[in-house]
Amino acid sequence: MSKENYDFPDKDGRFGEFGGKYVSETLISALDELECTYEEVKKDKSFLAEVKNDLETFVGRPSPLYFAQRWTENLGGAKIYLKREDLNHTGAHKINNTVGQVLLAKKMGKKRIIAETGAGQHGVATAAVAARHGLECIIFMGDEDIERQSPNVYRMKLLGATVCSVNSGTKTLKDAMNEAMRDWVTNVDDTHYIIGSVAGPHPYPQIVRDFNSIVGIELKDQSRGLFGRYPDKIIACVGGGSNAMGIFYPFLKDNSVDLIGVEAGGSGVDSGMHAAPLSDGSIGVLHGMKTYLMQDQEGQILSTHSVSAGLDYPGVGPEHSYLRDSGRVVYEAATDEEALDSFHDLTKTEGIMPALETAHALAYAKKIAPDLDKEEILVVNLSGRGDKDMANVAKVEGLTL
Amino acid sequence: MSNIEKVFKNLKKDNKKALITYSVAGDPDLESSEKIIRNFILEGVDIIEVGVPFSDPMAEGPSIQLGHERALKNKISLLDIMQMCLKIKNDHPNTPLVLMGYMNNFLSLKENLFDELKKNKIDGLIIVDLPYVESNEFLKKLNDKDIDLIRLISPTTTKERIDKILASSSGYLYYISLKGVTGSELKISDELENRVLEIKKQTKLPIVVGFGIKDAKTAKKMSLCSDGVVVGSKLVDEIGSFNPNKENILNQNLTSIISELKEGIS
Ligand SMILES: Cc1ncc(COP(=O)(O)O)c(C=O)c1O
Repeated sequence: MSKENYDFPDKDGRFGEFGGKYVSETLISALDELECTYEEVKKDKSFLAEVKNDLETFVGRPSPLYFAQRWTENLGGAKIYLKREDLNHTGAHKINNTVGQVLLAKKMGKKRIIAETGAGQHGVATAAVAARHGLECIIFMGDEDIERQSPNVYRMKLLGATVCSVNSGTKTLKDAMNEAMRDWVTNVDDTHYIIGSVAGPHPYPQIVRDFNSIVGIELKDQSRGLFGRYPDKIIACVGGGSNAMGIFYPFLKDNSVDLIGVEAGGSGVDSGMHAAPLSDGSIGVLHGMKTYLMQDQEGQILSTHSVSAGLDYPGVGPEHSYLRDSGRVVYEAATDEEALDSFHDLTKTEGIMPALETAHALAYAKKIAPDLDKEEILVVNLSGRGDKDMANVAKVEGLTL
Repeated sequence: MSNIEKVFKNLKKDNKKALITYSVAGDPDLESSEKIIRNFILEGVDIIEVGVPFSDPMAEGPSIQLGHERALKNKISLLDIMQMCLKIKNDHPNTPLVLMGYMNNFLSLKENLFDELKKNKIDGLIIVDLPYVESNEFLKKLNDKDIDLIRLISPTTTKERIDKILASSSGYLYYISLKGVTGSELKISDELENRVLEIKKQTKLPIVVGFGIKDAKTAKKMSLCSDGVVVGSKLVDEIGSFNPNKENILNQNLTSIISELKEGIS
């Protein structure tokens, strides 16, 4: 498949059969407004310059491409490089999207920003841009996630956001998203909903992908400079799929580059206790999109399990569903245990503490690197830093801080 | 002529407006929800919307969310719900039964859905998260079976879009009275009434108003500018207080809510 004939989403917001706009009628006008505004600003040089400036001076881009030399030597195979999104302001790739979307919100004259969050990274990234632009900010977060990501809850509050706890359903990311949709439908005139992944109704999967593509674009430049060629493999974790889409998208037409997404395998894909819809799900409609979902025979959404709050989601962005079926991207899963193991590995051998979400991608790199040729270059998207996870890791391992 | 058309035609002849109820199938359990619906019909409710419980009811406020949660505890399937509808239809063939729910539950039956709907005498579907752009294929298959796809129009729907929605609508139109979730507080305004009257000018289809209608006064106001009203959260709240030892009390309370509303709109 080459990107010359890869032109998704189409005009109806579809990636093949996936995507679309499955929302209640009240939200259609807001989605249409967002789509029109986005189409306009995409071609607007001053808007693009503003985004670029914010990415450089507020976020700290470009993020470095780092050679994990000791870890590479320990594993004894392919050279492992890390794309350091953890060094971004607020500590994850999520800010690439919020920096762009808040400018869109201002363009549309919206005064109030809402967002859902799982790990709290998107919530923090949203609260930060809202603070900077002086906009009111409400973050919806499941009760269970509030507990396991408490440092981020306090960060959001310090940044001036209101954190609304959600205790319906499974009390995690999907329920936070339901509640954000309910708020949006109620306050649609003055509110912009900043969705935090390449999920939801069109045009969100496209907008969030485009704003995160800076990661892959930089990686292209950096690898030309460092290696004189592109990497052999790029690995990223997949919750909703925004860090993965951001690093994959610019490489879709470069067929020599293997693209691998890693879902949350929880207690193991065979156990049913996981959050890996692309590995073990079926097609359905949730949160405005047609995509692979974890659901039962009746179309009820199943509760998911992952040690990482940011991957604990029963759906996945529609473009990933398309890329899975087309075969361009391969999707694997890493278990809680494998992720925790890699979390410690990277922290001890490289002095870099990754987010538990990211640790899933690292776990897969660790699995395959030893069997690869020493000349192969493997890049892991280091989507975020792990400070937020310390209390949770301690708890899982039976320690108290 | 479809059942739904007949209902509105007869009401019009008598210069009356439709009272439509929404309750969740399986809430508090399947058998009780069947009794509740039968009671509604005996009390003179004109059209019954049967809520299909979903794990993620995005458009619902707290009352109806709880109704969905209670129903899901009973692990009922969409086929169970349709079979319950058929039993009711066998006794009340003229009362339209309309399933209202979310796309994912309807998709779960795949191509069998359309035959099952027909076999179980379902008159129409309302799919909250299926806007018209996404619905072409689905609509054809429903229309082949003479089942109406009831469309929703909201305060934010543009005039051009309403025209497009109307072009493929049948049964009746459901006007969402407010920007918000089900059960929100409805503030009646001239703007709201004028908007309904405006849409009426664009179509011959009956138009009913729902979301936030909880008392006789509001029901009356809204019925004056429309062809009927839908009441949901108020009933589902009451059903939430169900006590298996005092089934009669629930039925009495529901009956009095219905008769009060009927009085309001007649
Ligand atoms: C550091 C980090 N990586 C990855 C994710 C997963 O999201 P996505 O799949 O959209 O990149 C999150 C979500 O919270 C995150 O915080």
